[in-house]
Amino acid sequence: MLRFIAGRLLRAALTIVMVVTFAFVVLRLSGDPALLILSVDAPPEAVAAFREAWGLDRPLWVQYFSYFGAILQGDLGQSMRDGRDAIDLVAERIPATLALTLPALALKVGIGIPAGVYAALHRNSATDRVVMVMAVAGFAVPSFVLGLLLVLVFAVQLGWLPSGGQDSWRHAILPVITLGIGGAAVLARFTRSAMLEVLGQPYIRTASAKGVSWRAVVRGHALPNAAIPTVTIVGFMVGSLIAGAVVVESVFSWPGVGRLLVVAVSNRDLAVVQCVLLLVAATMVTSNFIVDLLYGVLDPRLRTARGGGKG
Amino acid sequence: MRIPPLVALALAWVVLMLGVAILADAAAPYSYTALDLRARLSPPIGFGGTWAHPLGTDELGRDVLSRLVHSIRMSLLIAFGACIIAAVLGTALGFLAAHFRGAVEHVVLALVDFQASMPFLVLALSVLAFFGNSLPLFICLLGLHGWERYARISRGLAISAGAQGYAAAVRQLGASPLRIYGRHILPNIASTLIVSMTLAFPEIVLLESGLSFLGLGVQPPATSLGSMVGYGREYLTRAPWVLLAPSITIVVTTLAVSILGDWLRDRLDPTLR
Repeated sequence: MLRFIAGRLLRAALTIVMVVTFAFVVLRLSGDPALLILSVDAPPEAVAAFREAWGLDRPLWVQYFSYFGAILQGDLGQSMRDGRDAIDLVAERIPATLALTLPALALKVGIGIPAGVYAALHRNSATDRVVMVMAVAGFAVPSFVLGLLLVLVFAVQLGWLPSGGQDSWRHAILPVITLGIGGAAVLARFTRSAMLEVLGQPYIRTASAKGVSWRAVVRGHALPNAAIPTVTIVGFMVGSLIAGAVVVESVFSWPGVGRLLVVAVSNRDLAVVQCVLLLVAATMVTSNFIVDLLYGVLDPRLRTARGGGKG
Repeated sequence: MRIPPLVALALAWVVLMLGVAILADAAAPYSYTALDLRARLSPPIGFGGTWAHPLGTDELGRDVLSRLVHSIRMSLLIAFGACIIAAVLGTALGFLAAHFRGAVEHVVLALVDFQASMPFLVLALSVLAFFGNSLPLFICLLGLHGWERYARISRGLAISAGAQGYAAAVRQLGASPLRIYGRHILPNIASTLIVSMTLAFPEIVLLESGLSFLGLGVQPPATSLGSMVGYGREYLTRAPWVLLAPSITIVVTTLAVSILGDWLRDRLDPTLR
């Protein structure tokens, strides 16, 4: 088990290194930071001074390691807009985003998994059909379309709920529903096919044949085995808690991390973008790591297997 | 071969969209930038509009139908371009991994893991922030979406094909690796790759429209389905048709291509299920 955890930790660290490298490479490829910040017609002496001050005249690999060192110390640079630390700007937006994504996650899991399990257990029933149609529609309707339709109906036509902003809990209802429905549809579809796959296995037939009640077969044999692929999807959703609301936050003018990212991208505020990128990567890697540990709990075989592929 | 009615309907819609995209200049009644300031925000037919502007006009009096037609062309062009880039890139990397194994394979698999573990929207947004935006760059960027799936599939299939008689036979005959992979293995795994492309296509349409909706994708004066929705959002209360026409097109097109993809997968390649 210790070896299993160590392997997974190594992989998590590797992903973070790759994200930092990606940020560094993209940052350097995108042009000379000195010219970007000082403007093209700055005097050459000023450019040279800037390069020396920021270490841009040193060899690339030295820059890479000092960049790495700075990030490890939590120094992610300052916003080009107001000079504040990028990490502070991002951190103060996190609660607003979580206020949307956490209830939405509860909605996805609370609706998606039971609907998928029920549809699989009642295959080809009317409910199954309805769940599948909803699942396909949930994929095909992009979140911004769904969000705007909800605004059109519930805010513009009926006037029940506000269309945007963050003044009260009522403002969160439409964005949470928008985020939740799409995810619930995806989760229902995955859970259903995972359950169907498991229900077709010989050990289910064996358990039934030896007289175990159907309820106990489902609870003891089918659900735990179908949980593995489902856990993967839920893990991805947990990893997207920070970055999963980029579009929806824009639709509902919700001042979260996603909105900050979009504004930073249009202003080319690189420090903020890079900070969000690293934060998202860290969340994703952490949740993947937890999912990997859960695999080990759910499937004892994986604990002893070395490295190898997922699942 | 019997085609289910739903699939036939989906196919008809896709053909219609392709026709519209190819014949956009002839199909659009007006230029997509032509202004008609006397008919601003005129509603579509059925809601008090006239045949002069069947789907109504936006706040500058631009014909929604004409803009829709050009948006369909732009969105499909981007999605096709990106889809092909992803397939070529992914398949090439998958073949490289299968051919060289060892270190090359480890690097490719690490890249696959990295790509699969990051939300693509955030990666795309960072690249757009760092490089700015232009149409070719935007298409290439979306071409990075989903390459890891082709890489996984083609690597797996190429490894198993390499162990089969036909690949060994042409290798014994002295064929170069390029010839073995291009002329012999590729045609054998093409159906799987085509099915994957059909399944990836709607995702790219959604991604493109999402980014364009945020104002970070296709830039004006060019127009795409997503940027039309983003634009029409300002007139949600007064002129919802500006936004509804492209929204419905996105949803129906995504649905149609997914239905086709699912059907193709079931027919051609049950292993992908």
